Amino acid sequence: MMGKLLRVELMKIRRKGFWFLTFLGPIGVVALQVVNYSVRWDYLRTLSDDHWLFYLENVSGFTPLALVLGIAILTSFMASIENETNAWKQLLALPVRKTSVYLAKFTVLSGLLFLASVLLCLATLVYGLTLDFGGGVPIIELLEYSFYPFFAALPILALQLWVAMVSENQGWPITVGVLNVILTYSAFSLPDWAFWKWPTLLNSWEEPMYSGLMGLGVGLVIYMVGMMDFVRRDVK
Amino acid sequence: MRALASEWYKFRKSGSLWALLAAPLMGFGGGLISGLDMLEGININQWYTPLFGANLVYGLLFLPLITGVWAGLVCRYEHQAGGWKQLLAAPVTRGQVFVAKYAVIMLLVLVMQLLYLAALYAAGRVQEITDPFPLDIVWKSIFGGWVAVFPLAALQLWMSMMWKSFAAPFVVNVIFTLPSILVVNSERFGPYYPWSQPFSMMYIGGSTDDVFFIPWEQLLTVVGGSFVLFFLAGYIYFQRKSV
Repeated sequence: MMGKLLRVELMKIRRKGFWFLTFLGPIGVVALQVVNYSVRWDYLRTLSDDHWLFYLENVSGFTPLALVLGIAILTSFMASIENETNAWKQLLALPVRKTSVYLAKFTVLSGLLFLASVLLCLATLVYGLTLDFGGGVPIIELLEYSFYPFFAALPILALQLWVAMVSENQGWPITVGVLNVILTYSAFSLPDWAFWKWPTLLNSWEEPMYSGLMGLGVGLVIYMVGMMDFVRRDVK
Repeated sequence: MRALASEWYKFRKSGSLWALLAAPLMGFGGGLISGLDMLEGININQWYTPLFGANLVYGLLFLPLITGVWAGLVCRYEHQAGGWKQLLAAPVTRGQVFVAKYAVIMLLVLVMQLLYLAALYAAGRVQEITDPFPLDIVWKSIFGGWVAVFPLAALQLWMSMMWKSFAAPFVVNVIFTLPSILVVNSERFGPYYPWSQPFSMMYIGGSTDDVFFIPWEQLLTVVGGSFVLFFLAGYIYFQRKSV
């Protein structure tokens, strides 16, 4: 049943801008650095000795924001497929479980975000290679900066999906999304337990992997809570 | 005027007013987070720290983004179940509808600015700041932020009328707002980018000689120019939109 549901969800997101956004996010993040580096490469050159690492840090300054905004937009789009056409009743009248529907949507969304992370990794690498950094590519750091934010942002994905799936008025999830972005942007002032900080990979242990692991764990918990709430509610 | 009253009524009944609360939340949180330890030993008005810290995030990201949410909310009613047809069958011109919706957005932003001001003040009182509240400067910032939103609200209203989906106009908003994090750092491009104007207008460190924190020429050309462009484009679009 899960396979069929996934195929259905994938079919529903065609030609609605999902794929476009999945590409736009990572390309946009790197494009900002293209602008940054082409305008003031001479200045940026003086700021650090390890040009590659400095470049990766610059890119990852925007990764969390793009990720959190992307999550808000994609989840809202995802929920509005059924909301706008009042199709929840039809979908849930089929012999499918509500938990499976919820899981299918979550899976498709995290798949898109994972794809975005892959693209981010490639785009970062390709543009970095065109710049005259010298030294080898720091593969490990490149992978860390590309994929840990995805795992670290899972709590936000789970939270947004929950809000988007249970609200009829999509103003709710978007407003929550704006607040999430603000909190992520203010990550410097937040304590370690605040999950908005995790996508920036900053923590007091200075170990980015912890941010990813905590994201995975807490993401699953929020996912379960959101799913149970969705199952409990009446179909609108 | 009656178009305006009806827009306001619809909005009030849509149960979306709660979103106004996001602004004071920002002001209070931002005011508390950007605590006072940063400025220890420096002899300036203590109010500057929370004002500075909170305004940064508020003007740079929150204000431009949330304006798009308001624009989406005032069009939400019509996008559901053929509301445009019903509304335009009423004896109002399309121009009136457009202006009324725009006025509601700007009214909401104004209320939001005032709530933000109040929350910021409360956050300062909680931290027991004893210095006098620099009201003359703060007014500039609050009112300036409102003025800077004029063009952005016009663009967002246009986009929200165009797309049925709530998130689609928000995408446009995000695409233009995010780069301003980089743009505000640039002395060359910062003054010309409409989406970084809310930040510039609210930035309390700017020159205090003029009425606002940015020079009149910049205000008139960048904010005024983009406002005329977006407003007319949206207005003309709505005149021709098939419902």
